[in-house]
Amino acid sequence: MSSVNFINLTAKEITDGIINKKWTAKEILSSFIGHIKKHDMFLNSIITLSEEQAIADATRVDAVIARGENPGLLAGVPFLVKDNICTEGIKTTCGSKMLQNWVPLYDSTAVKNMREAGAVLLGKTNMDEFAMGDTTETSFFGRTKNPRNISFIAGGSSGGSAAAVAAGFCPIALGTDTGGSIRQPSAFCGVHGMKPSYGQVSRYGVVGYASSLDQVGPITRSIEDMATVMDVLAKADTNDSTCDAFDRQSFSLLGKGKQELKGKKIAILSGYDKKLVDKQLLEAIDQTVKICIEEGADVFEVELPIALKYAVACYNIVAFSDASSKLACYDGMRYGYHEDGKNLSEMYKKSRSSGFGEEVRHRIIIGTAFLTQGYYEEYYIPATKVRQLIVEEFMNLYQKADVLISPVSPTLPNREGIIEELDAQSYLKTFFTCIANLAGIPALSLNVGFTPEGVPTNVQLCCPRYEDGTLLSIATIIEKNIGSPYVAELISDEGVN
Amino acid sequence: MKRQVVIGLEIHLQLKTRSKLFCSCSTDYVGAIPNTNVCPICLAVPGTLPLLNELAVEQAVKLGLALHCNIQDQTRFYRKHYFYADLPKAYQVTQYDHPIAMGGYLDILVEGKEKRVHLDHLHLEEDAGKLVHQTADGRLSGASHSFVDYNRGGMPLSEIVSKPEINSSAEAVAYITQIRQLARYLKVSDGEMESGSLRVDVNVSLSKDDGSLGTRVEIKNINSLKSIERALEFEIARQNRILDEGEALIQETRLWDDAVGVTRSMRGKENANDYRYFLEMDLAPINADIEYVEKIRHTLTEMPWDKRNRIVEKYKISFEESLLLTEQKELADYFEDCVKNGASAARTSNWIRTEVLRVLRDQKIDISNFPIASKDLATLIKKIDKKEISNTLAKDVMSAMLEKNMGLDKALHDCGGDSGRVTGVNLQLVINKIIETEPEAAEVVRSGQDKKGAKIKYLQGLVMRETRGSADHQEVIDILKRTLE
Repeated sequence: MSSVNFINLTAKEITDGIINKKWTAKEILSSFIGHIKKHDMFLNSIITLSEEQAIADATRVDAVIARGENPGLLAGVPFLVKDNICTEGIKTTCGSKMLQNWVPLYDSTAVKNMREAGAVLLGKTNMDEFAMGDTTETSFFGRTKNPRNISFIAGGSSGGSAAAVAAGFCPIALGTDTGGSIRQPSAFCGVHGMKPSYGQVSRYGVVGYASSLDQVGPITRSIEDMATVMDVLAKADTNDSTCDAFDRQSFSLLGKGKQELKGKKIAILSGYDKKLVDKQLLEAIDQTVKICIEEGADVFEVELPIALKYAVACYNIVAFSDASSKLACYDGMRYGYHEDGKNLSEMYKKSRSSGFGEEVRHRIIIGTAFLTQGYYEEYYIPATKVRQLIVEEFMNLYQKADVLISPVSPTLPNREGIIEELDAQSYLKTFFTCIANLAGIPALSLNVGFTPEGVPTNVQLCCPRYEDGTLLSIATIIEKNIGSPYVAELISDEGVN
Repeated sequence: MKRQVVIGLEIHLQLKTRSKLFCSCSTDYVGAIPNTNVCPICLAVPGTLPLLNELAVEQAVKLGLALHCNIQDQTRFYRKHYFYADLPKAYQVTQYDHPIAMGGYLDILVEGKEKRVHLDHLHLEEDAGKLVHQTADGRLSGASHSFVDYNRGGMPLSEIVSKPEINSSAEAVAYITQIRQLARYLKVSDGEMESGSLRVDVNVSLSKDDGSLGTRVEIKNINSLKSIERALEFEIARQNRILDEGEALIQETRLWDDAVGVTRSMRGKENANDYRYFLEMDLAPINADIEYVEKIRHTLTEMPWDKRNRIVEKYKISFEESLLLTEQKELADYFEDCVKNGASAARTSNWIRTEVLRVLRDQKIDISNFPIASKDLATLIKKIDKKEISNTLAKDVMSAMLEKNMGLDKALHDCGGDSGRVTGVNLQLVINKIIETEPEAAEVVRSGQDKKGAKIKYLQGLVMRETRGSADHQEVIDILKRTLE
């Protein structure tokens, strides 16, 4: 089988082929490695390619198959991981000069679970520095280009992971999402991305940005694959006390079993200024609504007035405050970038000033201010109260709805560089995604096709907390009607693939 | 008008757990090689998360209950931020405005009088690492580098904060001593100031002439009870002097310099810290619901103050004696075990306070390592009670047991204390005395001229008289022969 065929396969197809001995994990791997080596120099989606480790992992999977043992749900599936998720023996840079050469001594729980399920780790993907940014332009390693069109932005902060999946470098990548960092780049790169419920996936080994908002989640080209990954990731973890024990549904079964939208109550978000949202994205929502109605769902509009008014301010205060605290450990002493100083204080200043990029410094300084006496009472305390009101607003919404549909981002990715939007548009850019992090609910950025010019379009689906299974089953039905996104056609110096 | 001294104390107790507060590292760090009791969590390696040690929570709840606090359910941890080399995360995980135990009080004894000191709260927090300032050749002065040892970092601490209701250095010492005793009774802390498992920060002010509160000064770095007293005396005098001169005090933190005997201002930014307290979202709320608290309450044993009073009541001994006996729970238990085994309470109390405590002091051991079992001491004391042996003989028996590592029976036998007979060493002593007073008869026997054995019979008679017939005839003859050969 040619490499082009391999890279178009879903995780499910790869695993089935390995189990049925149509191909081996090593064959799969070498095809993906070849594809990456040929094209990533143009995309810059990967910071570290860990080929040796991947070969060892693939060899192990083949041996397990040869022995006739259970190879796991993701046997032989190559995957990439955002570079703020710790990997034993493989550099984990967080896209920063600060951790440019840092090699963790342990695997994060997410990576450990993936590898135990037979998935083969290929390496680490590019990202905005410490997950702060939405274009990958704040990465110390340069920005990632969008495989759908290299003049588009890939989005961020998990831009490397989303681009890699779109480019066919792997059928699955992991990202992290603090305010939209999985969903927005997935939307821009034309793939699916999911932020699970807070507490559904262990954060152990994820370099923290904001402890109460961060979640690890999958980026895929098929909802079935996404459900399988969630099946592997969603486990209580004794290393993370916020990843609580809960009755875990089997997501991959939900993805396959009997699902229907008949009688489902579907809320369409309204109340925001629709003029600020790209027409083609509003059309994508209309198209999705049409499918839902045809499937027998009950569709109506809702507003979230408190969230609309306060969510972004609340999000910025909560996230930046926590970032100022979480990033305080990078003092140049035990790990990371170090510069000598006359005394302790000067060493801190020099190491932190040079080790962090501008956006990170900016957020740390603002976050520090939010927590300083006086401002704490004026900003931080009200923000936590407003957050509680937003949680309640969602709880009320879900009294009458099973799922909320909204845009992911108000804009399409078809331009280069940091977007020069209207202030209001920039507000919505954070709004649609950050509400899910504030409320702790699961949210999925679903690709619903492409414009005639090949620009990906998408919708966001949000379900109540811990209803990740419901979210995936609804996404499955919509995807069935529309089809999964295809692998991007990459242009290299050798011409079109 | 004399100004009233107002003191508030913050006591940090290192809790006695096997692992640290948020990771599985060993807490056995005293004397350990620097940076060996560390792991990714307590070194703040990126991506790690804290995991709460449930035993530490249990111990804090125990302490809180013993101190009559209200235990709070679902309290949270906070991050207290400051940059320093001993703090890897650059924040200390501690509690803030809703700590695990609120209110409460402690009754202390000062010069025989009881006083109630109310508590503000008790909370849980982690300890910081330690800095060592020394040169490469080990000298401490003129060091160009500092070394950091993270072994202590993350140790579980419980901080007990009193209300400013302590009015003298004697009261402060009594308060600390009482907390220390309680911690040891509950087995939640070693409570040793010298090794740092009990640390005290002192807040002291002098009330103004109109009775209102004065400017508060915090004193840190006090490492012994003696120093608490000295530091307070110094600081009270210093504040009085400044106020007498009509000047104002500055609210500040001062460090106690034990060698010089003064408190010194900690200049600079340390006084103006804004710790930016912030909810620790990496940890779930602490579960301490009523059911849990009641379960722990049932495990509480008798408090030292209750034991002290009960022993006075039950055994009719003086309060002062009881105070000494109950200083350590194990000593009080030893006392009660002896009495349970039939020894008289008054004599047992005397024996423990004099003989036993002297041995413990001399050998620098704890009652739990005292080699004489309570039932053996009880047997010995019972013999005195029944006048079977003298007090002096009993002491000899105890010495024999301790020094020659003998069992009770053997020691009694050797000292001639079994069934009231004079034997062995004791008999030898009597015989020596008789020989001394009867040199002529002794000389006859020694020179072999006592053919008919008259002289040896004569000496034997004297010995039997001296021992009031409680020696064995044949043993007397044997010892006499051995001594005079």
